[in-house]
Amino acid sequence: MGCGGKELLVSLEVSNSWWAGFEGSAVMALVYLRQEDLTMTSGGTKMAYAQFAGAPLKLRKISNPWRSPSGSLPALRTNQKETLSRPSDIIIHLRKQKFNADYDLSAKEGADSLAFISLMEEKLMPALIYTFWIEPKNYVDVTRRWHAEHMPFPLNFFLPGRMQRQQLEKLRLLRGDERLEAGEELEKELYRDAAECMNLLSQRLGSHKFFFGDSPSSLDAYVFGHLAPILKCKLPNGKLQQHLKSLDNLTNFCTNILQLYFPKDGRESFSQKTSAHSEGGDFDHVPNKRRKQFLSALVALGAMLSYALLTGMVSIQHAHHEALEEPPDLQDIGSHHDHEDEGDG
Amino acid sequence: MSLAAEAFMSQMAAAEPWPENATLYQPLKEDQILLSDCASSLAVQAYLRMCGLPVQVFCRANAEYMSPSGKIPFIHVGNQVVSELGPIVQFTKAKGHSLSDGLDDVQRAEMKAYMELVNNMLLTAELYIQWCDDSTATEISRPRYSSPYSWPLNKILAYQKQWEVRRKMNAIGWGGKTLEQVYEDVSQCCQALSQRLGTQSYFFNKQPTELDALVFGHLFTILTTRLTSTELAERVKSYSNLLSFCRRIEQTYFEDKSS
Repeated sequence: MGCGGKELLVSLEVSNSWWAGFEGSAVMALVYLRQEDLTMTSGGTKMAYAQFAGAPLKLRKISNPWRSPSGSLPALRTNQKETLSRPSDIIIHLRKQKFNADYDLSAKEGADSLAFISLMEEKLMPALIYTFWIEPKNYVDVTRRWHAEHMPFPLNFFLPGRMQRQQLEKLRLLRGDERLEAGEELEKELYRDAAECMNLLSQRLGSHKFFFGDSPSSLDAYVFGHLAPILKCKLPNGKLQQHLKSLDNLTNFCTNILQLYFPKDGRESFSQKTSAHSEGGDFDHVPNKRRKQFLSALVALGAMLSYALLTGMVSIQHAHHEALEEPPDLQDIGSHHDHEDEGDG
Repeated sequence: MSLAAEAFMSQMAAAEPWPENATLYQPLKEDQILLSDCASSLAVQAYLRMCGLPVQVFCRANAEYMSPSGKIPFIHVGNQVVSELGPIVQFTKAKGHSLSDGLDDVQRAEMKAYMELVNNMLLTAELYIQWCDDSTATEISRPRYSSPYSWPLNKILAYQKQWEVRRKMNAIGWGGKTLEQVYEDVSQCCQALSQRLGTQSYFFNKQPTELDALVFGHLFTILTTRLTSTELAERVKSYSNLLSFCRRIEQTYFEDKSS
């Protein structure tokens, strides 16, 4: 029951710790379908072998988006050396390769899938972009911090900022308004659209376990991929999360999929998040903070001293030194005189 | 439109009935209007006819600039101006005319989803073909778009619009697509619509809804517009139930216009 006999078809790269790699989770959600074996080896790059609707898939988690073949994550590299980035393209490719989780769907259900995916891209995606990247508190406290921590040294200074600018640009183009800025008004509009979209999804789901029948399909993957980050990430400004939690059937849908298909990852990252938060609050990394405080105090002291010396506010008493070197008996009177002279000067 | 403005508009709309002198503005039909704008305009006209609301169509060269959101078409009713199908549907609802009242929740969810599908795939594909495909852009879109203006304004405006549309395509991930892939997406979309329509006469029940108007607007325009290649029209024609759907709506609601 594993990847043993099947040959490796494709390699899928998602950002490290895909929970917080928000784009990555949309595609990771695809990976769960029909998977039977998920093994993770420790080491520099975590590799997970998963079967997606029976498709042998090699999963590489990388934290630097520039190392991915297309320059952005997630990216699917096929054995024809093509690179696909959009989740819908990846689904289409996998379908063409005959790994089809939608095999059991009727024609009408297939059409409905496509329609609901469009609905989510149009209504929910802008709100997601806003809540993770544009909303000031969320961006500073959660997104930027997470990305900065997980990127190698020189990149963590400017790459999150660049990603944020890209996302703002994308939002502006999606809404067709060049002068869009973060604010109450925009937030209300986007969240209203997103809330409506979630309500529509909830109405469509009803009391079923999955959207179509008893086994999951690509629509389930897509919905899960978009809703799971909202549900799981603890954001300071959590209006979307509140609304989602008020829709019981969607919440159950997400937790159900989590338990069924991401048991280890779900528990591991969730506990990571909670432990980070329990240490967190005001003191982020205690040892680093102490060291930084000490270093900065030292630097300040050194700066003050050298300034004082250079301007002559403080002068070092060289006479003391000389007096101590010479034998005190013979030069007693002379040294006393010297002392007074130096002292006045 | 902001929430406060929308609420205000609904209140104002509810105050008066639909007047006789409502007008719809679009760019010049013969020389200027492009595929995507023509489709949106036809969708709105079809919707208003389905509701039984009279409206006069005026063609103006600067319609795009007159529109409050910059999109075509827009209607001028009483002392209010509303653009795009979504807000127009809400506006007419506030006046008491609605086509989707008879739907239950699940159906309404599906209707909204399918409308987004058409906007997301068909409209974007139309924009792509018009502005990102070099041959179409050079031969058709740029000359038509800038026909009312003289040199050098026509060049500037045409290139500005093209640049703007290309940026949007890049932002939503369509920038890297080839024309073949776009045609493929159009086929997928038409297949989805065809499967949903099945053998019914309209998408929901026996009555048309705004979804029918939207689909009609886009498909009819694609079928009757001449582009550099007939590939797009061919893709749509391969679904016979969609063809008969378009014909049926044309005969029912546009019979005085059909030539």
